[in-house]
Amino acid sequence: MLRPDIGTPASYTFPKPQRITVGGGTVVAIDVPGQRLASLRLVHPYGGAVEPLDAMGVGSLTSEVLEDGPDGNSSLAPALERHGAEWVSRVNWDGFITGLDAPANRLGEAVRLFADAVRRPALTADDIVRRRDQLLERFWLEAASASTLAMRSLGGQLFTGRYATPLAGGPVKLAQVEPETVAAFHADSIASVAGTLVVVGDLTGVDLEDLGKTVFGDAAATPVREVEAPAPPPGELPRVLIVDRPGSVQSALVIAHRAPSRSQVDLPRAEGISEVLGGLFTSRLNMELRERLGYTYGAGSRFDLRRDSGVFFATTQVEADTTAHSITASLEQIAKLRSSGVTTEELVSVRESNTVGLPVSYSTARAMASALVDMVVHDLPDDHVDRHRAGYEALTEDKLNSAAVEYLHPEEAVVVVVGDAERLREPLADVGAGPVEVRSPESLWT
Amino acid sequence: MTTIGAAGRVGQYTLDNGLRLVTAPASTGQVAAVNLWYGVGSRHEVPGRTGFAHLFEHLMFQGSGNVAKGEHFEEVERLGGDINASTSTDRTNYYETVPEHALDRVLWLEADRLETLRDGMTQEVLDNQRDVVKNERRQRYDNQPYGTALERILGLAYPEGHPYHHPTIGSMADLDDADLDYVKSFHKAHYGPDNCVLTVVSDLDPEDVLARVEKYFGHLPARDFVPEAPDASLPQPLGGPVRDAVTENVPAAGVFLGYRVGAYGSRGFDVMHLASAVLGQGQGSRLYRSLVVDRPIAADDGGGSADILPFRYTDSLLLVNMLARDGVSGDALEEAMREELAKLAAGITEDELDRARAVLERDHLQSISSPSGLADSIGSCTQLFDDPELAYTWPERWSDITAEEVRAAAERLLVDDNLLVVRFDPETADAETAEAAPAPAP
Repeated sequence: MLRPDIGTPASYTFPKPQRITVGGGTVVAIDVPGQRLASLRLVHPYGGAVEPLDAMGVGSLTSEVLEDGPDGNSSLAPALERHGAEWVSRVNWDGFITGLDAPANRLGEAVRLFADAVRRPALTADDIVRRRDQLLERFWLEAASASTLAMRSLGGQLFTGRYATPLAGGPVKLAQVEPETVAAFHADSIASVAGTLVVVGDLTGVDLEDLGKTVFGDAAATPVREVEAPAPPPGELPRVLIVDRPGSVQSALVIAHRAPSRSQVDLPRAEGISEVLGGLFTSRLNMELRERLGYTYGAGSRFDLRRDSGVFFATTQVEADTTAHSITASLEQIAKLRSSGVTTEELVSVRESNTVGLPVSYSTARAMASALVDMVVHDLPDDHVDRHRAGYEALTEDKLNSAAVEYLHPEEAVVVVVGDAERLREPLADVGAGPVEVRSPESLWT
Repeated sequence: MTTIGAAGRVGQYTLDNGLRLVTAPASTGQVAAVNLWYGVGSRHEVPGRTGFAHLFEHLMFQGSGNVAKGEHFEEVERLGGDINASTSTDRTNYYETVPEHALDRVLWLEADRLETLRDGMTQEVLDNQRDVVKNERRQRYDNQPYGTALERILGLAYPEGHPYHHPTIGSMADLDDADLDYVKSFHKAHYGPDNCVLTVVSDLDPEDVLARVEKYFGHLPARDFVPEAPDASLPQPLGGPVRDAVTENVPAAGVFLGYRVGAYGSRGFDVMHLASAVLGQGQGSRLYRSLVVDRPIAADDGGGSADILPFRYTDSLLLVNMLARDGVSGDALEEAMREELAKLAAGITEDELDRARAVLERDHLQSISSPSGLADSIGSCTQLFDDPELAYTWPERWSDITAEEVRAAAERLLVDDNLLVVRFDPETADAETAEAAPAPAP
């Protein structure tokens, strides 16, 4: 049977959110009729990037300790569970985000609990110390996984200052955060600051103003955050860091370099070229390392763009003996993309997947809420998704080719390899990616 | 056959060749989630051929009669769609969510590999994907702390030769032995329209979807021979406690406890599913309260220490897993966990039962809240239970289960005779202990 034509896609427009100002805060909402599970998110502009150097990790620890609730002793989650609600709390570099996923028809009851948890938590010293010690131990439990260790090793190779230490503060700095520091951070940055409330789901019968009043209370308006670019990386570039993990049968690889901040980057061009290189399954890195060479289960790349800076990275995990060649092959793919540019097929893939694919990207309340949170954190307009789509529609081969030269810089890269140093040191010295240094995981975050 | 049920939400059809089609509406517009559940999984594998159902899943993306290697992925990615597949003991499923206008193309791609996969298969493709799967095994099992836990658990829970004795990833040696003839015979034996449930979640009219599915799949013949699945009966009880102790490079002692419970779909399974939530799902669960918050000797898992592996054609497995805090031995943690589990036989409160129901209901609601999740749940309920509406009504199964029923099941099943233990202990701790031991007291 002949392959059927795809036909013409329906035009897609991201739903226009309602905006209501309530007290010191703003409610941003999208009604999705029939979506019984609502997503609610409260955004505060206090991510890891603005933590003082002597209190690194205070945001992550505060985020954790909010789960102890107004009554302390891990009381929040059980209380919410009775309303079928799931607590959401996370800190990224640019935002402190709390929230709920809950049945829309029970949102009112759950949100009263939520507001108490965010504004009036117990924050007992016992709870804070217990959570801090657990976070410290969890750091090493998670870092026992090669890919996690590789990603956490990256900051210290690309930045000085706050970004040199992992988001949760790392094993040394977090240990120095005391209960009083957590209480002060919470009082100054969370409890007394209204923030922006995002709500997505079937909002039939939901009173958004009432919701806003419950969540914001009498908290003050959210201040504007100043940004300042972090210091450049120390040391010679390019270079290779082996984080020793004796006996590893595989190596976790990250090839990374610094990138401009989110507002300085032309997103469709930058993300588009990253998709060609490693973002799609059919990308060059995946086709070469997985589908041709059989070295890996998968390879990828992406930009991590913050308000004041950015990182580009490509990742994979390969069998120990193919580590050196995997790096060479990856760098060759980047060089080729920079010198010869993209194919017409690649342009079409990138352009279409980011335009006609939008109904798929936003097919859940969570995904829409996540887009709204992103818009709040980065001060983007309500029609950001549509503008973004227009940027992809206007992509050309030339625009992607110039993006490869503008945004991909292997000559400034640090290659982090988490694997067996004894087996890897010699072969990696020969790949031409700069000098090789070997470190133990324990020495990375002193 | 046509029926429209679940308050008009679900349409059910069976084509003449045996393919079952289920349609359901999506909660957002302009998308079509397509999900194919084939009734073949690792339980169909025989000794010496482990890992084959999963390796085969990879091969399904490597081209067919009219589709080049990699093209299936490329087509769907170009549409901005989501695409993937997974293999379990009981089934292999393939799924794509695409913009609605591309539904025909996806149905055609799926039909083409069902009809002509054998035409596109080559030794080169097989060799490449074998290497990919071996790297998947390294990434998920061999290079990951505690990565071999599941393999060890299944090895203890089900006897040698039993179809659930091995994990879906299979062994490296068996993967090496896979040959092209076997690939082709596997496709012929298991991949027929009569062994497939096709679910489409979209805003399209169900009759329109049916017409499209008829167009692309209607002419494909049913299998002329249906292979018998290996016998999954369990004549013997577990005969525990049975134990696998591992000393290797792990960051902390890890304790994995497992108990055989009822098959997926039985009331006994539902009762123990509630028990698992009482024990270890959510921060209100017993294990979290007792071992993470109160004592505290276990690492904070956020309230995710217990769950059930749902097996449709043999006993399922209730699994409980915790990692030790610094300075806590594996023995101490294991003892504390077993004490907590034994306490369930003394009874649970109505509050605990209500919380457990709420946790499981929330998870279920979460899983069907996306078009692709709903399609997957419908495919599961149709393939395994011949009842797609269960995807919507599953939480009702927990409504009339009583606290006494949970207690009685715990008393019967959470006993040493039905227990398997997989223990990981760090090498370094042992070495330090050994060095420290001979030092005389001051």
